[in-house]
Amino acid sequence: MTTVTGELIGRTPVIATAGLTKHYGSVHALTDLTVDVGPGVTGLVGANGAGKSTLIKILLGLLEPTAGHASVLGHDIEQASQDIRRLVGYMPEHDCLPPDVSASDFVVHMARMSGLGASAARERSADVLRHVGLDEERYRPMGGYSTGMKQRAKLAQALAHDPQLVFLDEPTNGLDPAARTDMLRLVQRIGSDFGIAVLVTSHLLGELEQVSDHVIVLDGGRLLRSSATTDFLRQTGSLLVEVVGTETERDRLGEELARRGLTCRPRGSMVAVDPPPADLAAEGAAHDLIRDVAVELGLGLMRLEPDRGHLEDVFLEGGARV
Amino acid sequence: MSESAPDLGRSGVIHDLGYRHYSGVREGTPAIARTLFVTGLRHAYGLGRSGKSKVMPFLLLGMSLLPAAIVVGVVVLTGLGDLPVSYADYTNQTQLLVSLFAAAQAPVLFSRDLRHRSIVLYLARPLSAPMFALMRWLSLSLALLLFMLVPTLVLFLGALLAELDTGDQVAGLLKALVLQVLLATLVAGITGLISSVSLRRGFAVVGSVMVLIVLTGVVSVVQNIAAFEDADSASVAVGLFSPWSLFAGLADAWDAGVNTPAPVDGAWVPAYALVAVLLVAGCLLGLVARFRKVGSR
Ligand SMILES: Nc1ncnc2c1ncn2[C@@H]1O[C@H](COP(=O)(O)OP(=O)(O)OP(=O)(O)O)[C@@H](O)[C@H]1O
Ligand SMILES: [Mg+2]
Repeated sequence: MTTVTGELIGRTPVIATAGLTKHYGSVHALTDLTVDVGPGVTGLVGANGAGKSTLIKILLGLLEPTAGHASVLGHDIEQASQDIRRLVGYMPEHDCLPPDVSASDFVVHMARMSGLGASAARERSADVLRHVGLDEERYRPMGGYSTGMKQRAKLAQALAHDPQLVFLDEPTNGLDPAARTDMLRLVQRIGSDFGIAVLVTSHLLGELEQVSDHVIVLDGGRLLRSSATTDFLRQTGSLLVEVVGTETERDRLGEELARRGLTCRPRGSMVAVDPPPADLAAEGAAHDLIRDVAVELGLGLMRLEPDRGHLEDVFLEGGARV
Repeated sequence: MSESAPDLGRSGVIHDLGYRHYSGVREGTPAIARTLFVTGLRHAYGLGRSGKSKVMPFLLLGMSLLPAAIVVGVVVLTGLGDLPVSYADYTNQTQLLVSLFAAAQAPVLFSRDLRHRSIVLYLARPLSAPMFALMRWLSLSLALLLFMLVPTLVLFLGALLAELDTGDQVAGLLKALVLQVLLATLVAGITGLISSVSLRRGFAVVGSVMVLIVLTGVVSVVQNIAAFEDADSASVAVGLFSPWSLFAGLADAWDAGVNTPAPVDGAWVPAYALVAVLLVAGCLLGLVARFRKVGSR
């Protein structure tokens, strides 16, 4: 199965794989993977051992595939691995920072190892360290960094040479919720503001949904699904409504909406509205109804938005299909 | 790049300049390899690293220079007709210091990247694993060569000051240089491979000391016993098993002023050279395999 999304038509994909397979003896890390990745942020999702890191290492030429082909930025991974490594950045999932070197010195050195001259490397390094949010700490040895700072330093070295594509392997690993949000925002900025294509992995679908234009789901080394994030979300069609007040107000709204033909259930302080039935399915009809009901009941509408929490459900559905 | 941010900093307001792309020159593989080589060479002497890491290499270098300085003083003041020690033999006599330098500094170049796994970041960049291994080995080889060559040059200057025959001195110096190059590549390969396998610095140092100092000691004792028992070819054959006895054997064969327990001659000479070259090649292949393996994890 090949999935080519709208954004890819007529252009070379950033990454294209065909029948890519990697076996370690009897362990099938990757099996017959055929998928295309376009520009923007692509999330690569899968449970532990799904083959995410294996795929990235094959694309970088660090591992040889057992079978199949792949190209990155139009270069074949077997014939032009070196050209690929000039153009991409890589943030590994594990620790890879020498503890006795400062982030500043380290990123400069890594930029030079990607072919930048001494002064360009210094300038770029200061730039990217600022972008990832390492300030004064950048002059301290990295051994004393928190996990959050280490992840930032790892990201900075991946961006040091201004790549066209970065592989970010579990950048949110080990981060607390606030740092996780920061990191995800940064990933999104890399894709949109910096204009660098991103392939980012995670085993949490929910977090990639927030930042990815496209999601690829791997399961046991096989492609489960690859499609635009909006496709994942569009399927749900559910709405979330929140009104000013307590549970009493929430329930008054829910009961009234149910009377008007919508299937509702409480979710926290909100009302979750299932996809509307046929007579309310017209674009915006359900929205209008909810707004009218709130006005009639004299309730202040705080929130009315598509329910975006269903990516995991889609994954589960997909899993059931296979 | 610098002109792409005109005057923004001067207004005193902090501007987020946004992301700037790099459109400047990107060097090719040879230039990147050269940078890695030079950085590695500097690091072998603690340059560009913490102050503490300069102590060991320069202390050892100072110790290996001291006898040379004394020899020069004696030769110049007393007007001896020749240096009391040949250039190649000086290296041979200070082998303990050379070995210690290699054992102590090889982990800097061959353990650190593997232990901290920064090797992955290197191999995800243009340089390939063989190129990376080659450059690391060249850095340590040149560091070792300089370590041996500096005292040799001091001796040579002393010889010129004492107005010894320049032709003789230059010939001896060049022979020593060739032998030192070979020894440096050999010792760099061996200690590099040991350091890349035993990632704990202590183990790497002990491993190198075992091979360079203990093994060499054993080989030397066996060579002497064999020669004493008139088993000359056994004595020469045993010399194939340590880098220092290879060095001494080749120096002896080439008349570079080093004497081995039994003379190395005939077919033994190419055998010594071949073993030395094969040993270097084997170490390099081992290094590449090791870097590849750790780099793919
Ligand atoms: N060097 C190796 N030798 C044997 N098996 C391996 C090796 N590397 C990976 N594997 C196996 O291949 C499979 C895929 O591993 P991979 O690291 O790609 O998964 P992943 O999706 O990145 O998982 P995680 O979320 O844990 O990082 C796993 O079953 C793993 O055990
Ligand atoms: Mg992984």
